[in-house]
Amino acid sequence: MSPAAYGWLVLAFPLAGSILIALLWRSLPGRTAGWIGSAAILLSFLSAVGALVQLQDRSEHERQLTSSLWDYASTAGLDVKLGILVDPLAVFMCLVVSGVSFLIHLYSVAYMASDRGYRRYFSYLNFFVFSMLLLVLAGNFVILIVGWAFVGFASYALISFWYRRRTATYAGMKAFVINVIGDVGLVLAAIILQRDLGTLDLPTVFARAPEVFERNEWLIVAVCLLILVGAFAKSAQIPLHTWLPDAMEGPTPVSALIHAATMVTAGVYLIARMHPLFELAPTAADISAAIGALTLVFAASVALVVTDLKRIIAYSTISQIGYMVMGVSIAAYSAGMFHLMTHAFFKALMFMAAGSVIAAMAGQQDIDRMSGLRRAMPRTFVAFLVAAMALSAFPGFSGYFSKDEILAFAAERGGGYWILYAAGTVAALMTAFYAFRMIFRVFGGEPSEEARELEQGHIHHAEPVNPVTGEPEDTDVGYPGPEHHIAERDREMWIAMSVLMVLSVVGGVLQIPGVTHAIEHFLDPTFADSRFADTNVSGNLEALALVVGGLCSLAGIGLAYLLYVRMPGSTLALADRLRPLHRFLERKWYFDELYGVLVVRPLRALGEWSSTVFERVVIQGMVGSATAAVRTGSTIVRVAQSGLLRYYALLLLAGVGGLALYFLLVSR
Amino acid sequence: MLSILVFLPLAGGVLAALVARSDEYGGRRAGAVSTLFALATLGLSIALIADFDSGAGLQHVEDFTWISELGIHYRLGIDGINLFLIALTALLWVAATAGSLLAGPDAERRPRPGLYFLMLALGETAVLGAFCAQDLALFVLFFDLMLIPFYFLIGIWGHGNRVQATTKFVIYTLVGSLLMLAAAVATGILATPDGQQPTFVIQELAQRPLSEGTQQWIFLFFAAAFLVKMPAFPLHAWMPDAYRAAPTPVLAVLSGVLSKVGAYGFLRIVLPLYPDATVHFQELMLLVALASILYGSVMAFTQTSATLVVGYSSIAQLGFITLGIFALRDEGAQGAVLQMVNHGLVVAPLFFIIALLAARAQGSDDLRQMGGMAVRAPVLAALFLIVALATLAMPGSANFVAEFLILLGVFKSKIAFAIIASAGVALAAVYTIRLYQRSMHNPVGPAVEPREMTFAEGAVWVPIVAVIIALAVYPQLILKRTERSVSRSVAVTQTAPIEPAALGGPNEAAALGGPNEPAALGGAIERAALRGPQ
Amino acid sequence: MDIAWYLVLSAFIFCIGAVGVMVRRSPLVILICLELMLNGANLALASFARMTGTHDGQVFALVVMIVAAAEVVVGLGLIVAMFRNRLPMDVDEMSELRG
Repeated sequence: MSPAAYGWLVLAFPLAGSILIALLWRSLPGRTAGWIGSAAILLSFLSAVGALVQLQDRSEHERQLTSSLWDYASTAGLDVKLGILVDPLAVFMCLVVSGVSFLIHLYSVAYMASDRGYRRYFSYLNFFVFSMLLLVLAGNFVILIVGWAFVGFASYALISFWYRRRTATYAGMKAFVINVIGDVGLVLAAIILQRDLGTLDLPTVFARAPEVFERNEWLIVAVCLLILVGAFAKSAQIPLHTWLPDAMEGPTPVSALIHAATMVTAGVYLIARMHPLFELAPTAADISAAIGALTLVFAASVALVVTDLKRIIAYSTISQIGYMVMGVSIAAYSAGMFHLMTHAFFKALMFMAAGSVIAAMAGQQDIDRMSGLRRAMPRTFVAFLVAAMALSAFPGFSGYFSKDEILAFAAERGGGYWILYAAGTVAALMTAFYAFRMIFRVFGGEPSEEARELEQGHIHHAEPVNPVTGEPEDTDVGYPGPEHHIAERDREMWIAMSVLMVLSVVGGVLQIPGVTHAIEHFLDPTFADSRFADTNVSGNLEALALVVGGLCSLAGIGLAYLLYVRMPGSTLALADRLRPLHRFLERKWYFDELYGVLVVRPLRALGEWSSTVFERVVIQGMVGSATAAVRTGSTIVRVAQSGLLRYYALLLLAGVGGLALYFLLVSR
Repeated sequence: MLSILVFLPLAGGVLAALVARSDEYGGRRAGAVSTLFALATLGLSIALIADFDSGAGLQHVEDFTWISELGIHYRLGIDGINLFLIALTALLWVAATAGSLLAGPDAERRPRPGLYFLMLALGETAVLGAFCAQDLALFVLFFDLMLIPFYFLIGIWGHGNRVQATTKFVIYTLVGSLLMLAAAVATGILATPDGQQPTFVIQELAQRPLSEGTQQWIFLFFAAAFLVKMPAFPLHAWMPDAYRAAPTPVLAVLSGVLSKVGAYGFLRIVLPLYPDATVHFQELMLLVALASILYGSVMAFTQTSATLVVGYSSIAQLGFITLGIFALRDEGAQGAVLQMVNHGLVVAPLFFIIALLAARAQGSDDLRQMGGMAVRAPVLAALFLIVALATLAMPGSANFVAEFLILLGVFKSKIAFAIIASAGVALAAVYTIRLYQRSMHNPVGPAVEPREMTFAEGAVWVPIVAVIIALAVYPQLILKRTERSVSRSVAVTQTAPIEPAALGGPNEAAALGGPNEPAALGGAIERAALRGPQ
Repeated sequence: MDIAWYLVLSAFIFCIGAVGVMVRRSPLVILICLELMLNGANLALASFARMTGTHDGQVFALVVMIVAAAEVVVGLGLIVAMFRNRLPMDVDEMSELRG
């Protein structure tokens, strides 16, 4: 079988799984739906491996294949087929997506077991994986946009999964609308490309673009900026990031899968995929890199003060994606993709561990309420620790190599790119700090009530409440079901976490600077046409980045240790002293308020005005004035309708007589 | 064949009226007869699609001289533009008729069921006639005939403020119709060269150019009639009342099909017959379309009545269709034709769904009273979700392909309009998701008893959802067949010189008939070339 | 032959009829006056026919007579119906068409 056939299989399994579960939802007993869903993703992963093997058998120049099923929309100059593009980048993404997804499916089999929406959950989850794979395998812009929007929809469906919660439905809507804004950006970009290049086929677009557009011509910059709107909306970069923290309303495995490991990296994939266009428009690439740097500092700073466990991780995700966006924007493609992969491993792991913690706390997500869970949850603790060390780029862990490679590349580009390097380094320090803030706050200190209960052998139980507003929950929906599942007790969860732990530790081996280059070599055919393909980071800079990165990581961890273990309570005093700054961070730099003032309220006011004033006065007024005119006219004419027959006869005669007289006069 | 298609529903309606004597089962019997005939019509229209030759022009032409002195013909024909609209009409009327039959307590209480089904069937005949007509006078006749059944359907069987609603509806559409009648007569007479027979056959009129000044006022008259029918901003004042008063099955076809007749009229009549005026008023029409999109979206965003959310969203969607037509590009017009079908397909199920929702919320379609219905009605929720996503033109649906084509067309002719219109795409997501969430999600509303839909409730519109999904997977089904006719209709207005090939080969000429055809065709090319690059 | 006298006579008859229609209230009398008006017109038609020597006017007069007969049938029928229903025999009382 050719790699393209494997590509179709990669897509077919999750779609089939989703439809199967959706159609059979009524008759699937117990955990069957979960196992069907997991099996579908496993098969998809195996197909991706098949594609990988097939691809490696070919020579480097034949590793880009296209294949299509039928004409999707071919008319009036448009030629869109239902087609896929299989190349190393796509296969790489397929492997990461389906692999991590499989583990999260496995985790969910147990974690969601007592949720009433169990089958719906797996149907959505499989659909999500299908969409994501469609996105990465898309052979033209239209299919890309289709996958892009499907992913957005799947995200919406899973964020508002517990749909009786107002906060969840609101968060879902926010995510959906921001994603649609991103879609519109992509659509406009595609339209410009279709108009000027006459094609939407990805390889053809990349081939023709340099012939049609001049370097840094405003039009290609506009195209790239529109693509960035799409990428930023999905990857939660400033200014379209506000949906991601709210997206934590979804079940925790969803956060792990969609809002950490896979979907949010779609923007990074998109920029990497569109690199021939971005290299034609260096201005747009620079803007993208700058925004990535800004976002990573912003999100890391907010993560320092947020107290909701899942939201800390969400901001951490935004921050880490900032690294990736920065990386692929400064042409460090393989480094960016490498970080995408390692991040998928350790962030999924961190969310899984957090899910286990939240389950042990009976739904409580506030780290102020947690402490001393280490002895009660040894496995979860180890997993969380590994994830946190990888996240804070502890020397030797996977995050260490991937992140510092991006920063080293920024340094290599020199000039203004040193600013990016500096921003990345500062954020690295903060990252290490907040990662271990979680560790020390959640697992360190005196055991809390829930921890003690767990040590005695049963999981704390509480009336389900909304973790954001504190409102009592509708038990019909479950949170996440009446029974909670933790890694210490459920084998599926523990297996999934163990695999990710191994990957988080050793994932870096694939590409140790100066030693191994597995990913770079594998992705080489895709990025060979890049102007920076031959740019190699010099040994000195690489060493510098590694050393500085390692020091930052250690310093951050040390600082966290100092503040939270040696001098507990000192952070409160610090927050008190720096109240304005603390407030600024706590309100997330006031982005939500800004949008409220700039977009939401004006739009709502406009709508109110339209429906109360304009519609009533102008539109209905048109009808009103017409009927009023008719009514006045008829009152006048009414007088003539006396009902007296003789009077009518008189009028008749008078009329005839008048006419006769007129004609007599005229004839003379 | 086409005459059978057009008059079959009416025959069914008459039969239904005859069998609906005033015994207990009269209404059921009438409904069943009517539904059977509507199904037969649908079968015929599917046969037409299967039989359609995408390469040829007008097909299945039936042409009889009707009033020879005035050159009025009874001339029916189908091409790519009306093929799928006919199928859409037949499909939605099956749903409406079956919906009227199966509507439970509503159907039991309906007074004079025979007359109801007769009127419904008359409506289908009128709409099919308007879609098939290839003679201007015949088109006007059918167009005005549409008004009569809907006047009675809303006036007699409507609810709420139905008298006021019908009055508004009739006044608005009648004014439009009369303007159109005047314009149509003027076209026929003024286009007649001295000493020749007048004609009203559209294809022949297209070869008799009017002077530009005449074209302009005639264009405005036609535009007024069609924009009212759609309805478009700011001529939509009849819409809120009529939509709220109309019974659900009537509403489904009123919004799903009747609104398309207006848009169809632009493509069939206005563009080919008044090309100069079309170019002249292009920006005006684009502005109207844009205003409709934005205004409709913003209004839909604030309504509390679910019916009106969909009603105003229709204004926005028809704005997109108008935008596509007046982009005067192949892509835009293609998208517009596809979107006409798509919008009909989504809006009809939406209204049926809203009726189901209202039935679960004590008869009120107020969104503030709803919520949380998905808990006990997962199937309904899932189907509603599919329809809602298609409505907001989610990529992957045929609606998206249509909007993409429309935006592409507008982008090629007027960039600024395309960019502003794309805001409408984002707004559509807001109001559609709001509609869905307010009814299906959130805590259970105060007056709501959520329950799953029954087979009878779903049988009416679930097949339409299947069609939506099928088109989402393979929109090419429509695009392939419409391409040729649509580009012919748009080609006349394109300012750039057109190569003769674009106007069609011998097939087209044969379809038009008449010995002077090739010369006339040449004339059209010459005209297009004369206008040249302006 | 001078037709002026015939025309004057026809005008007189017409006017008598017209005045009668306008001033009388009894539907029966109004009907009779209507007949007068028609006959006045008939006389004029016949005279003109005589003057021009063609038959058109006479044909018209014949048509008018037929119409008048039909009208009387309907009108008398209505009047009989009014009697039967004991409606007042006064056209001023019957003003249901008032707007």
